Amino acid sequence: MMGKEKRLPLIIDSSDQLPSATILKRFPLPRNFGVAPDSRIEEGQVWKAPAGASRTKAFTIYRYDPDSGDNPTLDIFEVDLDDCGPMVLGALIWIKNKVDPTLTFRRSCREGVCGSCAMNIDGTNWLACTREIAETDEAGRIYPLSNMRIVKDLVPDLTHVFAQYAAMEPWLHSKTPAPENERLQSPEERSELDGYYECILCFCCTSGCPSHWWNGDRFLGPAALLQAYRWLADTRDEATGQRLDDLEDPFRLYRCHTILNCTRTCPKGGTPARRSPRSRK
Amino acid sequence: MSSPGARGRPLSPNIQIYRPQLTSVLSIANRITGVILSAFAVLMVVWLIAAASGPQPFSTVQRSIGSLFGQILMLGFTFSFFMHLCGGIRHLIWDTGHGFELRSIYASGWAVVVASILLTALTWGVSIWMGVG
Amino acid sequence: MRKVPTPTPLNHALALGSSRKGAGEWWAERLSAIALIPLTIWFAASVIALTGSDHAAFVAWLKTPFATICMILLLIALFHHTALGLQVIIEDYVHSGAKFAAIIATRLGCFALAVAGIVATLRIPFAG
Ligand code: SF4
Ligand code: SF4
Ligand code: FES
Repeated sequence: MMGKEKRLPLIIDSSDQLPSATILKRFPLPRNFGVAPDSRIEEGQVWKAPAGASRTKAFTIYRYDPDSGDNPTLDIFEVDLDDCGPMVLGALIWIKNKVDPTLTFRRSCREGVCGSCAMNIDGTNWLACTREIAETDEAGRIYPLSNMRIVKDLVPDLTHVFAQYAAMEPWLHSKTPAPENERLQSPEERSELDGYYECILCFCCTSGCPSHWWNGDRFLGPAALLQAYRWLADTRDEATGQRLDDLEDPFRLYRCHTILNCTRTCPKGGTPARRSPRSRK
Repeated sequence: MSSPGARGRPLSPNIQIYRPQLTSVLSIANRITGVILSAFAVLMVVWLIAAASGPQPFSTVQRSIGSLFGQILMLGFTFSFFMHLCGGIRHLIWDTGHGFELRSIYASGWAVVVASILLTALTWGVSIWMGVG
Repeated sequence: MRKVPTPTPLNHALALGSSRKGAGEWWAERLSAIALIPLTIWFAASVIALTGSDHAAFVAWLKTPFATICMILLLIALFHHTALGLQVIIEDYVHSGAKFAAIIATRLGCFALAVAGIVATLRIPFAG
């Protein structure tokens, strides 16, 4: 399907690698299976490419307008590839500028640093600014992050997941009086934080975690647990015991079943899953 | 929630659109095989009770296991057993904190699939050979 | 889901706080899993070896103290593991009042099956 990798086709080396063979693009379920009436997705409209566009590509995009009172829909947009940037975010910006100015999505840095453009592209969560249009399926499918309350179109309400993050008290807890200079760490101690400090809070992982889908109220989800571990692993933090006690709960921590969708999807190559077994000790 | 209008905010789709991946598929497979094995655990108790009750009930159970339908069930059982066994060992390794790089996750995942199929084939090969010999 | 409106999102995320348990069940599930690796392989190998044999051969096999002990250990570990595993699955997918009924039924069922299996196993060497 895509020819550029020399890697073993079935082994995924890093999360930016797309599956080379696709057996199923989605689980064989009706599209509105088990969905509450309010959230069912209906057919939307088709937005044709402007006349004269020679290289076009279609995107199916989830739309929801809170002011209309209508259910979400799937609109189809034909994008003029000669007129927009190479990334999926470019296509969205092109649509907003040239076709439908009401299309709503978050973006800021357009280079994979801020985490705001996270969405579900062709069935997996990723940053729209770092996924090439050329890598998407024909009729690329763009949904908001999975399992989120939707404010509008591709903008999810992240209040709850940010609250779960805040509940981890993601800052240094120390009873030792602050030293004159910095609190020092050896390079080895610092390297313990590799894979954990890089998180940009895009919530690709939490939104792609089936356990969080079913029990997101009480299960903290990978992004928050990664933060918890990031502070457990920090030699300067003195609240380790407290933090561990606060995690120990059949739902908060132990709903993680090591499904590992989180690691598969993290755009920063983090290993959100890794912290759980370590936190269990 | 506080959005205008009578309706609440819709929930974006999850399992309906999320791409099946080796990670999630094997996780679900471990669950499904676990449930299947629970059913066979019940059968195992039935089998023991039959054996304790005497030769008559025991041979009735043995004969139903030997029937075509019984053999198909046993094939499903063997595969489920090895899948759950290999998947379980994979989980135990993760529990020690190892094998979380994506490459290892995929390598061990495919290893579980291949090993389950091979072990199932091996088991049936041996048991057919024993039956003949 | 929420019965009482909670004042803040953080309040909702913290909910009733940590229950400070769960590690015990987690360990029990792993320990039973580790025990089951050799026990189930022994069982599978024995069943294959017994392919096509009659009641007498079966009784002769299960009568040996080694087989009796292994079988009882297998039944204990198996149904302990089954109860824990099914409970996690129920907790994941069932969110109604049926949850507790289902968990209780699973636990009692597994207990009953384990006892039945052990009694049957013991009857063979002692009453058989
Ligand atoms: S490994 Fe844990 S946190 Fe990650 S997707 Fe699976 S259940 Fe969720
Ligand atoms: S761990 Fe990765 S996927 Fe999860 S929020 Fe952080 S950067 Fe995003
Ligand atoms: S716009 Fe900042 S990560 Fe995509």
